[in-house]
Amino acid sequence: MNKIDNAIKTIHHMDYQANYNTYFKKIHPFVKLLTTIIYIILLTSINKYHLVTTLAMSIYLILISIIGDVSIKNAIKNLKAVLLLLGILGIANPILETNVITYIGIIPVTIGMISMFTLLLKGIFAILASYFLILTTSIEEICFALKMTHMPNILITVVMLIYRYMIVFLKEVQRIWVAYQMRAPKQKGVQYKAWGSLIGSLMLRSIDRAQTVYESMELRGFHPDTFFIPKEKVDKKSWTYCFFILILLIILRFIPIFEIIGNICI
Amino acid sequence: MIELKEVSFSYNGSKRQTLSHMDFKIEEGESVGIIGANGAGKSTILKLLVGLELNYQGSIMINHLKVEKKNLQEIRQKIGYVFQDSDSQLFMPTVYEDVAFAPRNYGFSKEQVDKRTTQALKSIGIEELQDRQIYRLSGGEKKLASIATVLSMKPDILIFDEPTIALDPRNRRRFINILNSLNGTKIVTSHDLDLIYDTCDRTILIADRKMIFDGDTKTILQNNDLLESNGLELPLSLQKRER
Ligand SMILES: Nc1ncnc2c1ncn2[C@@H]1O[C@H](COP(=O)(O)OP(=O)(O)OP(=O)(O)O)[C@@H](O)[C@H]1O
Ligand SMILES: [Mg+2]
Repeated sequence: MNKIDNAIKTIHHMDYQANYNTYFKKIHPFVKLLTTIIYIILLTSINKYHLVTTLAMSIYLILISIIGDVSIKNAIKNLKAVLLLLGILGIANPILETNVITYIGIIPVTIGMISMFTLLLKGIFAILASYFLILTTSIEEICFALKMTHMPNILITVVMLIYRYMIVFLKEVQRIWVAYQMRAPKQKGVQYKAWGSLIGSLMLRSIDRAQTVYESMELRGFHPDTFFIPKEKVDKKSWTYCFFILILLIILRFIPIFEIIGNICI
Repeated sequence: MIELKEVSFSYNGSKRQTLSHMDFKIEEGESVGIIGANGAGKSTILKLLVGLELNYQGSIMINHLKVEKKNLQEIRQKIGYVFQDSDSQLFMPTVYEDVAFAPRNYGFSKEQVDKRTTQALKSIGIEELQDRQIYRLSGGEKKLASIATVLSMKPDILIFDEPTIALDPRNRRRFINILNSLNGTKIVTSHDLDLIYDTCDRTILIADRKMIFDGDTKTILQNNDLLESNGLELPLSLQKRER
């Protein structure tokens, strides 16, 4: 119950932040979407043994967290379930690749460990980058941006509705859960016999509700064909931002800055 | 103008008829109450008016346009519909965003959208709620917000489904004043017969799928027998007066 409540709050809060972000908000959503996609492409193209390059890519995230005024710590807290899953997926690497390449103290470091860390970081960074995009850009803006990529209206509508539906669905879960608990206060979980009907009514009710929400949108003039027309062009400021971010990303990705800095220092 | 001719309707997949041979006409500027017991079909009539259900028999005309698929956009722009359940009506993150949704959709400029939104919020007296997140509002605040979301459309026809259901006495009073100050055609469904008494000149009573009465509000709301036989009671204000 509390978890559901938190999930709803998190989504709404994301929405809220996206609408009330000051400086970063002025950057055109298309540019934000574009830079995020390029970041993820560059990130995933890194060879799985290049831990240092991967680490360097975190500079972009730090930068975004500063100008977008979002907290990396909170992001990691909110995403810990997904990140844990990534960790489990990456665990195969050290088992499969056991060549020792160096030692830290007496602990052997294998190629598998390096590749596990790299993959793990790549996953985390990619998720954080998309999370930051969502945090700083409202769903409508993301939809406008998608429209500028010439994605068909129907797909954009689906993206938007899934997002809205998620909240509707969680709220419905919460209601049913409360109603169930009020009448079965002594139980910890849900009795196995009740699962079927509970899930059944959950589906029916949330579909019903999603339908009324859509009706409410329609009654207030929502139509996919007219809604997703981007209202403003990408302005100079946003292009400038785009340009600098791209340069930064290329430097981070293709120039071994850490090595260069290391060499200079030595 | 709203005109229903011989309208019958049953929900998809349901054999039972929900409405049968409804016939009435509402002129511009009238305020009409629709009353009836739970499940009588009040909300259904409203849904038919805005074309949320299109498989009806007979004819429904809104400002001389038939309610059918091709006219929907034009019709809906003229009608503001406040749902019985505000949770389904509101879907944007903040009150302001939600109230601005309709004017934005109708392609008004940024200044226009802002003006209409602020105006709507002001007329309901909830400017202070504008930056609040919807999911943190109380039931009554949500209701007021959803009324503002349709006022920002400046519709010719306003439809309220059980508008006072979540409102405390003060906000109920405020709502009645707002309603009376608005121009245009108004349709209100409610069990709150005092509300109907205070806001509507004309009342339609439906029961058992049919229209039982259509006429002057004072006449019907004083007719205890008719109300009671249809699952309703005299308005409180009139009950007191009787004693
Ligand atoms: N989507 C639906 N599918 C099938 N039947 C429905 C649907 N919605 C409502 N009904 C049925 O139609 C009848 C009229 O419902 P409606 O919601 O119009 O009543 P109402 O007069 O608004 O009642 P209330 O005062 O409780 O709001 C009810 O018997 C209801 O069970
Ligand atoms: Mg109803």
